[in-house]
Amino acid sequence: MAFVLRALANGSDGVFIGGCWLGECHYVTEGNYDALSMMHLTRKVLELIGVNPGRLRLEWISGSEGMRYAEVMNDFGRQLKGFGPIGEGEGLDRTALKLKFLAVKKILPYLKLVERERLRVRFKTEEEYDNYFGSDEVNSLIRELVGEKLAISQITTLLATSPLSTREISDSLRIKPAEVSRHLNSAARQGLVRYDESQKRYAIA
Amino acid sequence: MSRIGVFICHCGENISRTVDVERVAAQVGNMPGVAFATDYKYMCSDPGQTLLKKTIQEQKLSHVVVAACSPRMHEKTFRKAVESAGLNPFLCEMANIREHCSWVHENREEATVKAIEIVGMMVERVKKNRVLPAITVPVTKRSLVIGGGIAGIQAALDIADCGHEVILVEREPSIGGHMAQLSETFPTLDCSQCIMTPKMVDVANHPKIKLYTFSEIELVEGYIGNFQVTIKKKARSVDEDTCTGCGVCMTKCPQKKIPNKFDQNIGMRTAIYVPFPQAVPNTPVIDRDNCTWFKSGKCGVCQKVCGPGAVDFEQQDRLIVEAVGAIVVATGFDLYTIDEKPKGSPIKGYGEFGHGKIPDVIDGMTFERLASASGPTGGRILRPSDGKEPKQIVFIQCIGSRAREKGISYCSKVCCMYTAKHTMLYHHKVHDGQAYVFFMDARTPGKSYDEFWRRSIEEEEAVYIRGMVSRLYQKGDKIVVMGSDIAVGVQVEIEADMVVLATAVMPQKGADTLAQKLGISYDKYHFYSEAHAKLRPVECATAGIYLAGACQGPKDIPETVSQASAAAAKVMTLFSKDKMEREPIVARVREAGCVGCFACKKVCAYGAVEEKEIRDRQGNLIKVVAYVNPGVCGGCGTCQATCPSKSVELDGYTDEQIVAMIEAL
Repeated sequence: MAFVLRALANGSDGVFIGGCWLGECHYVTEGNYDALSMMHLTRKVLELIGVNPGRLRLEWISGSEGMRYAEVMNDFGRQLKGFGPIGEGEGLDRTALKLKFLAVKKILPYLKLVERERLRVRFKTEEEYDNYFGSDEVNSLIRELVGEKLAISQITTLLATSPLSTREISDSLRIKPAEVSRHLNSAARQGLVRYDESQKRYAIA
Repeated sequence: MSRIGVFICHCGENISRTVDVERVAAQVGNMPGVAFATDYKYMCSDPGQTLLKKTIQEQKLSHVVVAACSPRMHEKTFRKAVESAGLNPFLCEMANIREHCSWVHENREEATVKAIEIVGMMVERVKKNRVLPAITVPVTKRSLVIGGGIAGIQAALDIADCGHEVILVEREPSIGGHMAQLSETFPTLDCSQCIMTPKMVDVANHPKIKLYTFSEIELVEGYIGNFQVTIKKKARSVDEDTCTGCGVCMTKCPQKKIPNKFDQNIGMRTAIYVPFPQAVPNTPVIDRDNCTWFKSGKCGVCQKVCGPGAVDFEQQDRLIVEAVGAIVVATGFDLYTIDEKPKGSPIKGYGEFGHGKIPDVIDGMTFERLASASGPTGGRILRPSDGKEPKQIVFIQCIGSRAREKGISYCSKVCCMYTAKHTMLYHHKVHDGQAYVFFMDARTPGKSYDEFWRRSIEEEEAVYIRGMVSRLYQKGDKIVVMGSDIAVGVQVEIEADMVVLATAVMPQKGADTLAQKLGISYDKYHFYSEAHAKLRPVECATAGIYLAGACQGPKDIPETVSQASAAAAKVMTLFSKDKMEREPIVARVREAGCVGCFACKKVCAYGAVEEKEIRDRQGNLIKVVAYVNPGVCGGCGTCQATCPSKSVELDGYTDEQIVAMIEAL
């Protein structure tokens, strides 16, 4: 996940992951199942920070399927052209995008933990993964465990540059003001931010 | 400071046509850390490699990047060259600017810019490459051959004759495969049984060959030189060591009307049976689905009449583990069945030809059994429906093969020749009969093949009609075949007594499952893929696994035998050394960072992670860390992805290297 996010943060418009078909892994570990899980989780994270999750694509292409590789890559290229350059396509400026990826980077070890403790599953088919990651249960789990953490991480990353008001935070991060103040409250409870009375702005604690 | 040498290959014109290689060399030469950059027509050629070696020494290079084709093609070549110039081979990386760049782009400007980026990434990566010492592992000089047809038999005999032990595993109760079913073989018309059965006996008698029939591969673990294979030996219900092969049990078995698969279900067999009289081993097997004892608990006649007391109803499936160093896959082919469309298969059926519905519409293999002297009719060509001799017979070519709209686009290769043979056999056996052949083209490349095909027309009076059959249907006891003769431009209608379909050659059922167990790749038809179509036709991309025969693609007997011997030669090459070098791409633990959570141990499927105690000089335990046993590690990198403290690294694919590549982009 770190590699994918780093590439996107560096301005790549998309990341493609190619792998052997499920059940055909050269290694007995069958890591392609893990990759599939990771892809789903990464897409959720992208969605949470307002980046088009379609920018990450995973396809199974075995070593002997050169034609398929070409077809998929051409298709992905077309798709990315449709999305537009990263950030621009999402209506995020360069600094906001950088900041959002930096915020994710900060909570990567936490995401790894969430994945290991709560989302480590092993199914047989791709469909089962789709269903699992599309289920309300997983979505609410991710909202609760990751969404909150990620929002606070974004806010603290932003506040590290300068103290800001709720409105300003909301504008830069494109998060609703109500949600910003909710996150600010819980961040303040955790002792991460404080309200600077003199400036009438929030700042890093 | 690193002194990197970058060598840009033109690949003849393959790269230089779309990539301005001189510009790439000039630009890359200015990158930090690059001491030398040049372009050359053919880097892989002898002068190219000499240039590489000379430059390493003259320029005192610390790392090398060769920008050329795919590393799959020439990574070994260049790493070897680098090694001979005194550098560690793992300090050399390839940048793929052919498959990933020049071949797929047309715009010269854009392709050149992309090539520079690709090379730039590899330059940054190679800076982080470490010297990796080679790992040597012992080679188990025993081999496994999967499939006991002519391919498997030939490979097994060749390897065993060199003095190495061979484990030969066959799914059916007897070895012999499809070749044992054939009547006579093209282009010499020698009897298949006469040339096949002595080889089968050789296998049975060979002191170096261990034969497991009625057995299947359950599990394959390990890697080249060191595989552990679990074989499931299905319950035969007859003890192989005690049975003398007298055959009394078979004569006494009351179940006599079971269709024999070996005779394409037109001949009958008993419930305790050998598939054919020349079977090896000549030990019967009880077909538990059809045996009265297993169905109702009564009968048991075979057990009563068996003199040596070999019949054992209690026998269970057994799992046997064998250690081998190399595997030859020779699982062969099956014929396309027309009446059914397998679930999930993209291949459509040929309902219009009535195969499976009209009894006298048969496939080529069934005709072989009819024509075979040891077949169910004793070698007489008789209709399955009423046992009459067909006086008009129609052969239809390319059933399934070369029919893109039906889902198979390849040519099955053997049908033109075997149909020519069938017309001859038919003419020899039914003197007053007439054979017609509907064909698209006759494909007869091969020694004495075209002469043979000509003979079937000129001497054996087969009538060849160029065109396909549109429809056939039963009318009374005749089959009306309607087709067109495109050479003359007329519609043709023949009232035939029998129709023989040359159905497509396909891989054995379950070929995909076996491939998954072995970890080898296959194409969309489930034929196994060779490592290189031209230069490595008998090796799989997975090291230590070799291919022989029709499991890789349709083949005739001479080709199959050649490939089997070639696969055996490859196995012997591997066995010629006691130890082999393995790529040192293994995981390594940074002990300082390891907190001993052993998440890596949980995910390691190879069991390579061990616990290691770290003690101070007084012998007090400081901490327990993970240790990766390099001999066992498979190099998959899962531990690296799992480690929460980033303390495991896969040599050759470290985070540092990959991040360097991403940052360079």
